[in-house]
Amino acid sequence: MKSRKNYLPYAIMLTPGLVWLFFISILPMFGIVMAFQDYNPGLGIFGSDWVGMDVFKYMLTLSDSKQIFINTVVIALGKIAGNLFIPLVFAILLNEMRLMGLKKSIQTIVYLPYFVSWIILAGILQDLLGYTGPVNMIIKTLGGDPQMFLGKSEWFRQIIVISDVWKNFGYNAIIYLAALTGINPALYEAAAIDGAGRFQRMWHITLPGIAVTVVLILVLSMGSILNAGFDQVYNLYNPLVYSTGDIIDTWVYRTGLLSLQFSLATAVGLLKSAVGFILITIGYGIAYKYANYRIF
Amino acid sequence: MKKSRIPILLLMSAALLFAACSKSGDGGSKGAAESKQANMPEGPLGKYPEPVTLQIGMEVNSTESFGPGNTFDDNIYTRFVKENINIDVTSAWQAQSGKDYEQKVNLSIASNDLPDAMRVNETAFRAMAKSKMLEDLLPSYNVYASSNMKTAFDKTGGLAMDNVSYDGSMLAFPNIPVPDDSYSLVWIRKDWLDALGLDVPKTPEELKAVARAFVENDMSGTGDTIGMAGPQNGGKLYANFMESTNNTWGFDAIFSSKDAYPGFWVEDKSGNTVYGSILPETKTALAFLAGMYAEGLIDPQIGIRKDSSQLMVSGQTGIIGSVWWMGYWPLPDAWANNPEANWQSYMLQDDKGIVNNHMGTVSTQYVVVRKGYEHPETVVLLNDYLLKYESTFDKEQATIGNYPVRVPIAPFDEIKVTNDAMLQVLRGDKTPEDFDKPEYKPYKLLLDDVQKVASVKKAPFDDLDMKYWDRAADPNSHNRLYSLLVGTHPFNSGENEINRVYSKTYSMTKGMETKWANLKKMEDEVFLKIITGAVDIDAFDQFVADWKKQGGDDITREVIDLTN
Repeated sequence: MKSRKNYLPYAIMLTPGLVWLFFISILPMFGIVMAFQDYNPGLGIFGSDWVGMDVFKYMLTLSDSKQIFINTVVIALGKIAGNLFIPLVFAILLNEMRLMGLKKSIQTIVYLPYFVSWIILAGILQDLLGYTGPVNMIIKTLGGDPQMFLGKSEWFRQIIVISDVWKNFGYNAIIYLAALTGINPALYEAAAIDGAGRFQRMWHITLPGIAVTVVLILVLSMGSILNAGFDQVYNLYNPLVYSTGDIIDTWVYRTGLLSLQFSLATAVGLLKSAVGFILITIGYGIAYKYANYRIF
Repeated sequence: MKKSRIPILLLMSAALLFAACSKSGDGGSKGAAESKQANMPEGPLGKYPEPVTLQIGMEVNSTESFGPGNTFDDNIYTRFVKENINIDVTSAWQAQSGKDYEQKVNLSIASNDLPDAMRVNETAFRAMAKSKMLEDLLPSYNVYASSNMKTAFDKTGGLAMDNVSYDGSMLAFPNIPVPDDSYSLVWIRKDWLDALGLDVPKTPEELKAVARAFVENDMSGTGDTIGMAGPQNGGKLYANFMESTNNTWGFDAIFSSKDAYPGFWVEDKSGNTVYGSILPETKTALAFLAGMYAEGLIDPQIGIRKDSSQLMVSGQTGIIGSVWWMGYWPLPDAWANNPEANWQSYMLQDDKGIVNNHMGTVSTQYVVVRKGYEHPETVVLLNDYLLKYESTFDKEQATIGNYPVRVPIAPFDEIKVTNDAMLQVLRGDKTPEDFDKPEYKPYKLLLDDVQKVASVKKAPFDDLDMKYWDRAADPNSHNRLYSLLVGTHPFNSGENEINRVYSKTYSMTKGMETKWANLKKMEDEVFLKIITGAVDIDAFDQFVADWKKQGGDDITREVIDLTN
């Protein structure tokens, strides 16, 4: 980057974000010492007994530990893939649309679910997928047996991924649409004169034009590979789907805030952060190597 | 290339700005009550010369409909304690009753930022006691508890006090519930039984036949009658040794009728202490429930449904497992939809004709006071005033749950004595005035009940069907008296021979503190899957093996050591 003389506006713009980061993300990090203690809230972080790696050793003996990591990664990968490709395809298709009015209204409509919280959406989904809900009505009319969708562990991950993509693709498409406006129209004109068809223009101009954005989104989402979405899963799961749907965050919530096992919950949370850190570092390396993209 | 990045950067910085703005700055200021040494009440049921402040964690019910001029912070109860005891009750925070409240309590424990006093469950109380976060209430209890209060404590044979004592300190003020909360009932629409000409089911097999008849004849008229309702999402299939009473919508009655006591520490056939969930009787009961589910006689959405009480309210089901106080809730809502809905309560027998019932522990709720609070005696005074004046409150203004740090204290035979008194009055053997005597004083609502019963119960008095009640005359009294007379009838009338089963322990051992959450999760998951047919009944044997291996055996040894 070229050196700039007018730093001040940038610094001002950055300050609120840094302050937020400090209080929300950096400060609470000191709580991780609880993972190495037999944490006693009455004595606090400074008074509790140190137990070394005992909590981690116990964590590894739990059959749950493996299961929740697998569930988290599978669900998160599904979401990353879905949230990368569906909005991309949607944005490109929308970009080809000529009727501006229709284009804008479609964009607005698919954008709406993004603003609804998971508490409300979960209620809607439960009704949609319920035993007497519309989906099962259709299945019945077609002669099938009604399914208890949210009570079947083999369905749960798909439902989580699909509903998450449905909620977010309108919003995610905005980023691609913004990138698409950055492509020089002269390129399209030149290609058209050279005889390139619509599909060829899409393939040779549009896609390379937004490739960097795609990689950027992918790298940024690598950091959330262990974030499978607490509020979504928490509002939709039940004991029947623990085997495929219980993720690290819901497990930590139940262990730490319902069973009051603070140290164990912290240890699992810490392990999650450590793995997440490694993954984002790798992702960043890959992005630099193949797309020449760097943040720092 | 560079140009394309600008909109993204703008978007990201905007997102950060919004996030920064939405940060909530809740400082949690603590209004410490200033007090002088002399500012103490003179004794039991006394009053402070100067006002004292009590900041509590407030459990609220957001659907509460208050009378005019009443709110959660300022209602007939807060004004009553201000006038009579000179305590200013304020809320440190408010949370919706249930999961939200429990979470808020646990958060305040984790951050060691307790309100002056709050009501908590067993798990939270033990955690705080272990962490030495609580004030000793024994000096306050000794000086300020009234004789009626002490009688209720003594009637438990010292159990209530032992339960909250740590090294001679009383670390919580416990509730002393009526044992009636322990009885697992099956509530059935008797009007549906009558319409089909069926007898009241006595065994689980007969119950199954009744459920089948309800479904086949579509008694709800919705085209989708649910034979028997079950637990909702987050609900329990059965009460357990930690939460041993008041299990609503569970299958407790069916398990007990198969001589199975999952969730309780019981003796097996050879007299060894074991965990009831891993015994073969539990497998039998689960297979029975799975059979009912497969036949479509149990709510297909058990464990997933948001609110099972709605099935009772809407009239979609005719059978639901629960406890005695349905007349308080949710039956009033059900009667609002259908005043004829004749819900009656029954118990199920085993194959020898005996009714088995697992019994709860002495206390299930605890009022705790944070260490260092200047006036721990406030919680004793508040509950003592409640004991004395509960019948005088106008509960239409605000439900009794809004009384600050309320824990019900009752002599163990309160409901039975009250019921007998009411029947005597109804039959004309006695008059309400006969009960205005000192020996009936510990039964706090008895006099009020015998005065009101004649206005809502019509003859014949031993027929409890809905058509022999006059609900419209006094709905509030009807709620209570229907609960008492109908809800507790199966175990208070003596018509059933009852085998009471107690758990060997009602609290956690050391090993459970780390391992129990995991074992419990496994149990909840496997049992629900067996019932709904997601896995075969033989998954039970694998569960037993896993349970033993993953710490169950160690914990069993601890429980045996504890009880010997």
